[in-house]
Amino acid sequence: MNCRSVFSIVALSVASSFAYAAGAGQAAPDFTVSDSADNPVHLSDYRGKFVVLEWTNPECPFVQKHYNSANMQTLQKEWGARDVVWLTVNSTNKSSSEYKTGAQMNAWMRAQGAAQKAVLIDGDSATGMKYAAKTTPHMFVVDPKGEIVYAGAIDDKRSTRLEDAKTANNYVRVALNEAMAGKPVTTPNTTPYGCSVKY
Amino acid sequence: MFRAVVTAILALLLLAPAGAVAEPVRTPHVEAELVSARSAIVPGQPLTVALRLVMQRGWHTYWRNPGDSGLPTTIEWRLPAGLAAGPIQWPLPRALPVGPLLNYGYEGEVLLPVEIKVPSAFATGASATLSARADWLVCKEICIPEGADLALTLPVATHAESDAKWAVPIAAALAAVPQPLAGWRVESTAAGESVRLTLTAEGSRADPGTLYFFPFAEGSIEPAGRQLVAHDGATTTLTLPAAKQRTGTFTRLAGVLTASDGFGTQRAATIDVPVSGSLAPASARSASAQPLPESSTNGEAPLSLSLALLFAFVGGVLLNLMPCVFPVLSLKVLGFATHGESRAAVRRHGLAFAAGVIVSFWVLAAALFAFRGAGAQLGWGFQLQSPAVIATLAVLFFVLALNLSGVFEIRQVVPSAVAGWNARNAYINDALSGLLAVIIASPCSAPFMGAAVGYALSASATATWATFTALGLGMALPYVLLAMFPEWRTRLPKPGVWMVRLRQLLAFPLYASVIWLAWVLGAQLDNNAVARLGALLLLIAIALWAWQLRGRLVRVWRAGALVALVGAVLVGVPIFSPPANAESASARASADSGPWQRFSADRISQLAASGRPVFVDFTAAWCVTCQVNKQLVLNTDAVRAAFTLSGVTLVRADWTRRDPEIGSALAALGRSGVPVYVLYRPGKAPLLLPEVLQQRMILDALATL
Repeated sequence: MNCRSVFSIVALSVASSFAYAAGAGQAAPDFTVSDSADNPVHLSDYRGKFVVLEWTNPECPFVQKHYNSANMQTLQKEWGARDVVWLTVNSTNKSSSEYKTGAQMNAWMRAQGAAQKAVLIDGDSATGMKYAAKTTPHMFVVDPKGEIVYAGAIDDKRSTRLEDAKTANNYVRVALNEAMAGKPVTTPNTTPYGCSVKY
Repeated sequence: MFRAVVTAILALLLLAPAGAVAEPVRTPHVEAELVSARSAIVPGQPLTVALRLVMQRGWHTYWRNPGDSGLPTTIEWRLPAGLAAGPIQWPLPRALPVGPLLNYGYEGEVLLPVEIKVPSAFATGASATLSARADWLVCKEICIPEGADLALTLPVATHAESDAKWAVPIAAALAAVPQPLAGWRVESTAAGESVRLTLTAEGSRADPGTLYFFPFAEGSIEPAGRQLVAHDGATTTLTLPAAKQRTGTFTRLAGVLTASDGFGTQRAATIDVPVSGSLAPASARSASAQPLPESSTNGEAPLSLSLALLFAFVGGVLLNLMPCVFPVLSLKVLGFATHGESRAAVRRHGLAFAAGVIVSFWVLAAALFAFRGAGAQLGWGFQLQSPAVIATLAVLFFVLALNLSGVFEIRQVVPSAVAGWNARNAYINDALSGLLAVIIASPCSAPFMGAAVGYALSASATATWATFTALGLGMALPYVLLAMFPEWRTRLPKPGVWMVRLRQLLAFPLYASVIWLAWVLGAQLDNNAVARLGALLLLIAIALWAWQLRGRLVRVWRAGALVALVGAVLVGVPIFSPPANAESASARASADSGPWQRFSADRISQLAASGRPVFVDFTAAWCVTCQVNKQLVLNTDAVRAAFTLSGVTLVRADWTRRDPEIGSALAALGRSGVPVYVLYRPGKAPLLLPEVLQQRMILDALATL
């Protein structure tokens, strides 16, 4: 085939798009994933409560920024105390060199002093694909009715500098405050930043 | 004293400004430095400098829009008073896939030019140091944020020369920075889940080929989504998938557009246009309301290669029974049955015919590749969307039928040299018969063929060639079998009147095919075209009959034949060159008729977004299966009632004439020919029905709503 047809075939088939995607205003796709202690966790178990889904990867400098600055742990404690179910998801595929087993994730989270409800090991990346999670971190806030009220970046300072985590406008905190007060979320969708999820 | 002088001289030499001074900074994965295009700063003249990043093999840094993840490179300048740095001028990025995600960035070495404005009052006679803090994210599988404090010291002088090392590379980098598009009118509309970009050439321009768009803004276009190109004369359309997790409203589309064949002198250009229309609002979107997402066939697993090959083979065999093919082939069969040649010779004839058939299918596949490589949204049956092809086939069938009816004999019309050549190279003759059989078979499509060809055209190149070969093998099989085992010849009655009668009888299915092609032509164009075709065929018949008359008035007859032929050409020319963008009459008619609405991708996504089930009938006038399905299933009272009761919206996509939108829709469904029947169900995956419909299938499908 000539260059033109090769170019066109490549251009027309550059990666396949996600069949489904989840954004604010849509129903949060249900999932069943094993947590780091190998117990199955269903999103539908938490219907009736606010749920925060935090996509993570300990190897990513953006995740490290939020954990090393204690920003993420503070959020987890702050909202866990207000009955929000905080689920951390690692969708790094089993075949990636950055894959972490449940035991490894537990050890890392313990060392960080993290306070989420559960760490989900999404080794086949199926849940990540359902939500079209693109980066680590990528945050989703789900309301008690099962609808996504916020999807996107954790805050508005797109960098790896620790000091930025303190001074940035934290979208997750704002969204939870507004949704819990029964008001519509003013910024329901933002473009997430971080390293790509290792599918 | 002497030592002091030497020291002073050495000090002067060491301290003298010797042009640009800068040391590259090495971070773990990148070597960075600031380089200048000129050897000195000249007050009043702008200076172009560049950040040079040399990345370790396999690592990449990012463009101004990093894509699905990552961070763009930033430069923070600390400049002497009076100097001002412009923004980074980004060269054309590359699309870097990362699994199902896509980033925009650079690999290897990249120069990011920046223009420094120098005021005319800048102090001369000294040197100036340009400092910058450059930060970037460099990734391979893992991502590492890196940065460097860089400095570039240049003398300030009244005159500067081009830097021997960096002037040319910086000029090349500047040339690689896309400039605004010239010579094309660009428009953009948003609807449903996609943004359409339309380019219309101003004046006559060469086709730009395949387009690809890099957006400047994040969260606007889905980076890893498919961008579909369609060409229609001087207009090229690019359909971009809107970001599924969109931020903000879509009022402008700005970014870099690349063309495989370039826009005149530009390979890539920037565009910045307002967007009319609007996308579907976030709350109305649900997971299954993406336009034409993955679908499930009615209980069938998606085709594997071996299954596609089997379908193609069976389809090929069934092609022999189609009314277009059957008469000609059966006569060929009778032909060699009565030749009385040896068994070995008959076998060779059969193989030569099979070779002709298979090679013809390869030629068709190659033509399809060539057209699709040029960006056309073509599928199987593409050859029938052109009135010229339909008219040519009608003429061909009619001439063959006249020959079978005995109006003329080949030998009397064709010069004896050609007829004799025909007979001498008998195997070439067989191969040409195979080619003729494939040409005649092209208006017909057998069951199983659609799914097999659709799979082949969306799979790899080898799969396409293999499927078309299987098609050819299937079509040639009955003939080859008859040639391999010619014992059946002995069962036939001796040649006699029955052969002549049979020949004349078999002309009638061919006449019937001509009537059907005339009907297709009428659906493509209008009634006048059908009348023209009739007149054309009549004049050709007169010409053929007159040409082979003998006797004293042979010259008169011959002259009359030529007049008839010229008349035929004059009458027929408008059919062969109809207006290019004409909408087919059948599409127009179906739009006004009853419950069926006209197809458009936006209508489908709007209906799906509103939660209503939609049944789409992809059809074409030249598709026999489609017409049969319409008469026997879709238009029956039972099915019509079922549609009304279930509240399904009916949409008809008429592909009788070329339509890039319908072509893209078919491609997205994994098919490339008609008929295709899809039921879009809110909250569930769309359901694809088989090509040959039965009432029960429709009723079962509606029951799943």
